[in-house]
Amino acid sequence: METRVLGETGQESTVLTFGTIALNWLEQEGANQMVELVLDHGVNHFDVAPAYGDAELKLGPKLRQYREDIFLGCKTQEREYEGAARKIDRSLDRLGVDTIDLYQIHGLEYESELDTITGDGGALEAIREARDDGKIDHIGLTSHGDPGLILDAVDRIDDLETVMFPLNPVVAGKDDGEYDYEAVLERCEAEGIGTLGIKAFAKGSWPPTDELAEADRPYANWYEPVDTPEVIRERFDFAAAQGLDTVVSPGDPKLVKMVLDAASRSEGMDEARQRALIEEARHDDSPVPEQLHH
Amino acid sequence: MSVDGVPETVTAALADRQVEGRVCLEAGAGVGNTTAGLLAAGAERVYAVTNDADHAAAVRDRVGDGTADRLAVVEADLRATPLATDSVDLVTAHGLCNVLAPTDLDAVAAELARVAKPGGGLVVDDYAVPPADAAVTRLFALENAAARAVDGRPALTFYPPAVLAAVFADHGWTVERNETLLDPVPWTAAHLDAHAGVVRAYAAGLPDSLGEPLAAMADDLVSAIGSERTGRMYSLAFRLDG
Repeated sequence: METRVLGETGQESTVLTFGTIALNWLEQEGANQMVELVLDHGVNHFDVAPAYGDAELKLGPKLRQYREDIFLGCKTQEREYEGAARKIDRSLDRLGVDTIDLYQIHGLEYESELDTITGDGGALEAIREARDDGKIDHIGLTSHGDPGLILDAVDRIDDLETVMFPLNPVVAGKDDGEYDYEAVLERCEAEGIGTLGIKAFAKGSWPPTDELAEADRPYANWYEPVDTPEVIRERFDFAAAQGLDTVVSPGDPKLVKMVLDAASRSEGMDEARQRALIEEARHDDSPVPEQLHH
Repeated sequence: MSVDGVPETVTAALADRQVEGRVCLEAGAGVGNTTAGLLAAGAERVYAVTNDADHAAAVRDRVGDGTADRLAVVEADLRATPLATDSVDLVTAHGLCNVLAPTDLDAVAAELARVAKPGGGLVVDDYAVPPADAAVTRLFALENAAARAVDGRPALTFYPPAVLAAVFADHGWTVERNETLLDPVPWTAAHLDAHAGVVRAYAAGLPDSLGEPLAAMADDLVSAIGSERTGRMYSLAFRLDG
């Protein structure tokens, strides 16, 4: 599988990152098999979070077995020092490893959160301290929120090394600043910040629960995904063609194999084809659903 | 990222053209996509020309606010506009030629050459001939049949780029570049319904015995096709000799 330099981290990540939330929906044996499958396809970048149910625990056994082959991203939704420090140690413990390669401030949504994170007693202090102690190697950020806020974070966190944000044809075709993640991509490229794309496989928001109960949703994603091999391949190629360093796989295990296949066989996408996808989706609603507030 | 609702096709077609500070003419303003693109790219002035009053109103609604000093929506026949000779730096025609019958196309090419400054630019974006086996081809054929029954000429003509290049060359335009904008072209349900709407409009002008089946066939085709990706959209950039 193609690899790309992840900003200036020194890491060469596969163009597909395994979103390990998929492991949460599997029993341990199934989780082990999925990790083996992912590794068999050459994927070397995994992403996990304490918010992903039991994913950290289920990733642990195979992660420890193949630690040298895996660049491990993890995250925290904590905004203050104490919580973040505790979560780093908890993730290390649950994963059963000594070091997390990339530790990301997770799900940034509000300017006030950024103030807290970057202020005295903020999560960033704990993350930097953990880096000094050798518990983590690199610092990142994730957000489904306002691209302008992400750019503020880039301005304010001078040791930020990666950013994870949504990118797909619908978002790419939107004009207003609310969806201008391409500005984030351009800024990150200019500053040597690694970029990870999420929601590449989002089709739209789920119908309201009175129309489709959560229990009846056919996929575990918190958005409705595209789910045919052809469209998944198209969405992967589109996201990879935008210049992202790596594209994160969707959260439902049933989709992972198709995405692995797409990433393994990808031959790129020319500009006319990219424009065709954007044009086709130009009047669609954004498939980046409103962030889950916390 | 496109700006102000400008489709990527327009942004891409203008990307290698000098727009900022230029006087521009959008020939066949439609719903204002290219007019918006020209304004967003910094045109000093844009003449948005259309012979359709509804389109003129749509363009004013779309981009009139905040650009009144740079925008003039002109309701005129593109074969004879009120614009002065040698007055325009850059002419654009996005999705225009396919709705011009060959005789009109030649007259429009002449008029665009008249209003453009010597050395001025022209960008023509249009659809290549759709594949014969494409489902949308049946809808376009129906549209043309309805148009011929009412007006005696087709509603749509898909010109290969070489044909447009030759027609404009006859009026002093030299091709500078030819690039593909869309491949394939996504014909969405909304696009197909718009074409069916044209059929229905022509059908309304025909006796019921002819018009009603035509309209029904259009609706049936739209339902049957759903959407389709087929064909190609290209962009030709010209320079006016002189």
